[in-house]
Amino acid sequence: MSFITSYCHLNNENCSVNGEIIAERDRESEDSWFKQLYKSQEFVYPKFYKMDTLSQSGYLLSEMIKRAQPSLITSYNDDEIAMLFANQFSSADSDLRFEKSYKEQGTPSPALFVYTLPNIVLGEIAILNKWYGENMFAVLPKFAPDFFVNYIDILMSAGTKAVLCGWLGITGEQVNVFVFLVEKEGLAGNEFNTGNLAQIAGPGLL
Amino acid sequence: MDNLKEDLKKQIIEQLNLEDLQVSDIDDDALLFSDQGLGLDSIDALELIVLLEQYHGIQVVNPDEGKEAFLSVSTMADYIRKRKAEQIA
Repeated sequence: MSFITSYCHLNNENCSVNGEIIAERDRESEDSWFKQLYKSQEFVYPKFYKMDTLSQSGYLLSEMIKRAQPSLITSYNDDEIAMLFANQFSSADSDLRFEKSYKEQGTPSPALFVYTLPNIVLGEIAILNKWYGENMFAVLPKFAPDFFVNYIDILMSAGTKAVLCGWLGITGEQVNVFVFLVEKEGLAGNEFNTGNLAQIAGPGLL
Repeated sequence: MDNLKEDLKKQIIEQLNLEDLQVSDIDDDALLFSDQGLGLDSIDALELIVLLEQYHGIQVVNPDEGKEAFLSVSTMADYIRKRKAEQIA
């Protein structure tokens, strides 16, 4: 049996951890919403500013999960933590920006090009945390609890003990991000099944 | 205020797509390729080489020279001034 031991939601207006709002967007601020979060949570990782918004969202919420569930850092070997992320539009925002840079500047931007794959976000998180477990980024028509449950069952049966999961809905100005942690042994948490996952994900994703 | 350093900061933000950063967020002497600075990597080094050519007409052909030039905004400014002086001389 596995458990959902922590989860975060991020939308255009606020960010919550385990159902409790920890930050609300200041529409008057000159800073972007993600920069507001980065600063308010006092994260220190200069690479944040280089990332595209997809990777920024994954970075921010993975850091929040680590704070909410310190066992992720202390309880596992570096190859016992896997990552399973998904979204609907892959890295479309960065793809379009890269195409624009190609057309308007005459030369493509390498700094944009490196983010034209969605699984780069997994690389960013893995490099930062030195996690060497399995990782996969899927592109799905919509958030699918069954997909996460089935895939994580396979991962858990092959030695994985914790899986950081996420749905990174970043399209234009729309932000709908949900990141959650599944652990094989959870002292407290919701049993990991499709019903509980759907309930925690909330109506905004289903 | 050193206009060249301010211009360089704006150009770095533009060239590297660091849209969330402002000029005031970058210290003159912060190490560009360190996690204590901007955390740049080898891809960004390519962008800085392009930047020097596009904005300042300077080609970096010696990799060792580039390593020293790209330490910080201050060293980049020093490098530009030195190369421009050489061009005039």
